[in-house]
Amino acid sequence: MEVQGQQMTETKTAPGLFKRNPPIAGEAEAIERAKAGDAEAFSKLYALHKRRVYTLCLRMLGNVSEAEDMTQEAFLHLFRKIGSFRGESAFSTWLHRLTVNLVLMHLRKKGLQLVSLEETINPSEEDSPKRDFGSRDTQLAGSVDRVALERAVASLPPGYRMVFVLHDVEGFEHNEIAVMLECSTGNSKSQLHKARLKLRELLRQSESNQLADVKEAAL
Amino acid sequence: MTLLKPSSNSLSCAEFQEQLPDMFASGGTGYIDDPDLLEHLKTCDNCSALVRDLQYIADQAKQLLQPTHEPSDSVWKKIQEGLASDSSYAVEPNEK
Repeated sequence: MEVQGQQMTETKTAPGLFKRNPPIAGEAEAIERAKAGDAEAFSKLYALHKRRVYTLCLRMLGNVSEAEDMTQEAFLHLFRKIGSFRGESAFSTWLHRLTVNLVLMHLRKKGLQLVSLEETINPSEEDSPKRDFGSRDTQLAGSVDRVALERAVASLPPGYRMVFVLHDVEGFEHNEIAVMLECSTGNSKSQLHKARLKLRELLRQSESNQLADVKEAAL
Repeated sequence: MTLLKPSSNSLSCAEFQEQLPDMFASGGTGYIDDPDLLEHLKTCDNCSALVRDLQYIADQAKQLLQPTHEPSDSVWKKIQEGLASDSSYAVEPNEK
């Protein structure tokens, strides 16, 4: 299968991704059975990976309905092409790469040109992180909870969110992201930096809102 | 915070922050070994806070790798239908 010019075959994975995707009990056996067309093995693989694939789709797309459609597509592709999995990389890494490529292809079909991040999905001026060297910054309290971070990531502009999820959450390297998004490595680095700056802004905003709520409740 | 360059060796905040994307590019750890950058970091509270926050955000992002969302049951049903219509595989309609 070829998804947007990229072969859905295995590639050697960065060592970090093996650490992030350790083998799962029963997975290897299920893969072998699924290769032979065992329906129960498909079910097992779906149960093992549905949450991570769906969460990845949801984070990249920001939309439940589209995320479910892409989860379905990803598993259908997986089950049809599982025979080409040779076990040279972690199965979940292979599945995630397949999912990312399908989501990117979906976004391209929708008209979101990912060819040049700077020119097309670069956020508008008001969405960009502010660079005010004259004002004094306050530091984050250092206790940002997962829900606040999830919310902040979801509200990032699409271009920032995509690179942040691929690099900081999923662990892809900038050169891999550059290939996937058809942009330069420098572009990927720059988008990631802007994404983190924007997240900092959003998280600080969220902290000060929480503080204001506490003060109001105390009155 | 350094708005102007006091000497030829010291960096302004803008110059320091221009280096941040590359500084954080490898693994998100923000390891700094350039003496000029280190010097600025020592003397600028604002940029120190920024670097600490960016490191913190990169660290916290890893916790998002654990999935929290679950697709609805209809997704698996549609996958089963898709596979059933594919002649290569025979999937029991109600199997999960």
